[in-house]
Amino acid sequence: MFLNIMFLLAAGATIGGSFLTATSKNLMHACIYLLLTLFGVSGLYATLGADFLAATQLVVYAGGVVILMLFAIMLTGGVREFVNKFGIDKVASMGTVKTYSIAGFMVVIMSFVIMKILAPIFKSYAPGELPGFSTTVEKIGTLLITDHVLAFEISSILLLGALVGAAVISRPGRTR
Amino acid sequence: MISLPSYLIISFCLFIAGLTVMIARKNIIAMLLGIELILNAAALNFAAYTRFINQNLDGHLMSLFIIVIAAAEAAVGLAIVIRFFQIKESIHIDDATELQS
Repeated sequence: MFLNIMFLLAAGATIGGSFLTATSKNLMHACIYLLLTLFGVSGLYATLGADFLAATQLVVYAGGVVILMLFAIMLTGGVREFVNKFGIDKVASMGTVKTYSIAGFMVVIMSFVIMKILAPIFKSYAPGELPGFSTTVEKIGTLLITDHVLAFEISSILLLGALVGAAVISRPGRTR
Repeated sequence: MISLPSYLIISFCLFIAGLTVMIARKNIIAMLLGIELILNAAALNFAAYTRFINQNLDGHLMSLFIIVIAAAEAAVGLAIVIRFFQIKESIHIDDATELQS
């Protein structure tokens, strides 16, 4: 029952966020709707029992990629007609019903993910025996350095190349 | 309710939204948003098939690698976009008509 409600919330956030990303005119709004979509996908991972994947989704996407996108939008001035709204004489309101409902969605999904991760800690167990771990972290870590070790190393080299490449490409004064 | 077809339908909607963004938008950053949506759809498919068809955790590993690749792609893509904006003063996709400026 609880899982069904969580599935419905996460699916609604995912589908609604993706279609609002596709249809919203303002690029900044599209990026925030993308954030809602990624929270919804994280909730779907949690309903699938993939707790490590849900946490990684939150950390990498919501913490890294969306912030990077927002930085790029602000640096390139993609919402130049929108910036005028935040003038000195015109203070933006604290939020509308839409923003508060989006924030409520995100709070519910994120609390569900955190609860799913912390569930083995709060589980009551018989005294004298250790609680059994039901997380997927241990199995993923074992698989990552046994079966998939080649892909793991290649992805590390890929990340190093992306880091160096991004620094080289966006260097301001390139001498030719 | 929680079954494989529902997850596949959600993933399909994500993919269609991402493809729509990539085709219809003329802004390069918006196209990168569409790429993120498409990659998320693929990762969700991997996780769903792991849960309902195959019980080992190889699909989770594939989703993890997809997340890594999406992060690297976003970093390099946004670096290219910022460099393009410094040269062309625009991020419209139709302004990208030459390789070397």
